[in-house]
Amino acid sequence: MNYVIEAQGLTKRYKRTIAVDNIDLQIPAGRIVGLIGPNGAGKTSALKAILGLTTYEGNLSVLGKSPSKDRAALMEEVCFIADVAVLPRWIRVWQLIELTENIHPKFSREKFLQYLSSTKITLKHKVRQLSKGMVAQLHLAIVMSIDAKLLVLDEPTLGLDILFRKQFYTNLLNDYFDEQRTILITTHQVEEIEHILSDLIFIQDGRIVLNSSMEDIQQNYVELTVPPDRAATTRELQPMNERELFGRHIFLFHNADREQLNALGEVRTPGIADLFVAIMNGGGS
Amino acid sequence: MNRLMALVKREFWENKGAFRTTPLVIGGIFLAAMLMFLITFNHFDNEFQSLKELLRFIAQQDAGLRARFLYESTLVMSMTFSMVLAFVVFFYLLGSLYDDRKDRSILFWKSLPASDTLTLGSKLLSAMIVAPVIFWIVYVITHIVIMLLFSVAIMMLGENPWTLFLGLSNPFKAWSMVLLSYFAQSIWALPLYGWLMLVSAFAPRIPLLFAVLPPVVLGVLELWIDFLHTFTLSDNLFGLFGHWFANSPLIMSADSHGNDNFGAALGIPLTSDFDHQVTVANIFDRLFSSDMLIGLVIAAVFLAGTLWLRRRATES
Repeated sequence: MNYVIEAQGLTKRYKRTIAVDNIDLQIPAGRIVGLIGPNGAGKTSALKAILGLTTYEGNLSVLGKSPSKDRAALMEEVCFIADVAVLPRWIRVWQLIELTENIHPKFSREKFLQYLSSTKITLKHKVRQLSKGMVAQLHLAIVMSIDAKLLVLDEPTLGLDILFRKQFYTNLLNDYFDEQRTILITTHQVEEIEHILSDLIFIQDGRIVLNSSMEDIQQNYVELTVPPDRAATTRELQPMNERELFGRHIFLFHNADREQLNALGEVRTPGIADLFVAIMNGGGS
Repeated sequence: MNRLMALVKREFWENKGAFRTTPLVIGGIFLAAMLMFLITFNHFDNEFQSLKELLRFIAQQDAGLRARFLYESTLVMSMTFSMVLAFVVFFYLLGSLYDDRKDRSILFWKSLPASDTLTLGSKLLSAMIVAPVIFWIVYVITHIVIMLLFSVAIMMLGENPWTLFLGLSNPFKAWSMVLLSYFAQSIWALPLYGWLMLVSAFAPRIPLLFAVLPPVVLGVLELWIDFLHTFTLSDNLFGLFGHWFANSPLIMSADSHGNDNFGAALGIPLTSDFDHQVTVANIFDRLFSSDMLIGLVIAAVFLAGTLWLRRRATES
């Protein structure tokens, strides 16, 4: 099987710290992968290595190319949005189109103009005249007009309001994603992306602590809500995590017997945020 | 090639003010001064009473002398443009690899399929060719308009501008000489350009400080150590820089060239390493000198360092 991203022993060291610690990773095509981790876990370092923006140790192949040696060639197939505010502030929209058109062989002006027509952005606008949300729309319009195989989004919706954020992911899912493409997203706002992800990777202290498809997560992890009088009984079943909400106890189980849990209380699939907290607090499998 | 041109265009868009507006402003100042000159001469008494008398005085002069004066004055007129061009290119290069690191738009530029070598090349090309050519075009246009204005003024006084000066000299020779000296200067200045780009790629902040301070400190130290040894002040980094400047193939002063052959000069005629008279041969003398060769080696080292830094600009 051909993987879009394949890493063996990927390591990134800074002078004193190890940001990415010996990671093995395989991401096939047609997935939407969420890379989730606390601040300083090594998410951005890993993404930079994948995008050829930094040096690294170990083997890394993205679309069959080496990012550190072949950044320019790789960028014909890979797009990334690093943050909302990185478009040059002096540039005008028409200049941005002309530039991208001449540099990117897979850019479609028609598509771009079509996306742009659904926004308030005009060709004469300078990036500095646009609001943060409009800059994000513009950047997304460029990226979606490029026929790339891998799209990397590093905190793409940071600082945007809820309407823009919802719109951003809706556009991405409806107009861009298909089984030929792969999207890799990091964000702290996990609730927003949890229903669009196909795979989930948790990273902590430079290591992968969870790498699973969403189906597997739904099968393997269970959240159980019980009244206080059954809390002690439930605890004996060795939950990963326990928290209290409005006087009810909520437990998280990994590979537990569903029949048994059903008898105790209300069972459902945990949210990514709760799973994240549980695993980061040492409940990893 | 398409990509390189797109990147060069991007440099022009970003620096329109410096590359295009600046020479236009100089041209405008020239034209304004010309108009003021014409009006003044018509209104006030002075040595020549009026413009008409000045024209009579000029007409009495030898035609060869008038042609020479026209040629030399065309060369001298370029000096204002050249000086400002030098400042523009200096600050352009100093910011060329710094500004996008500062506003983080480097992440966007690096997301385009253009190699760092190509990016560096587009910036160097803009400094060496694009900016000089734009300045040169505006200089030529300004010169043409001045000649036209002067001719109209002369015709209004009932004289014939063609016999007086237009027919005497071929301005293309002076214009080409200026363009040639611009290109030669671009090559001559490569070690400086390389240094500025290196600083631009390296400086964590205030690139101007990082560009100027190290050579000044080094030069002062050299002076001091030298003085301790010999109690004289001989060649050092400052002297080297002075020689580089004085030997430049750019028209930047005037000289008598050893006889009464007075006119524009290449560089500043303080040194005798090269002939300072403005000729094609003298320009090429500089480009094919051993000094130039050493300069190119230094430039290559600086540029290689710049590329190394640029590749790692998104670390940390």
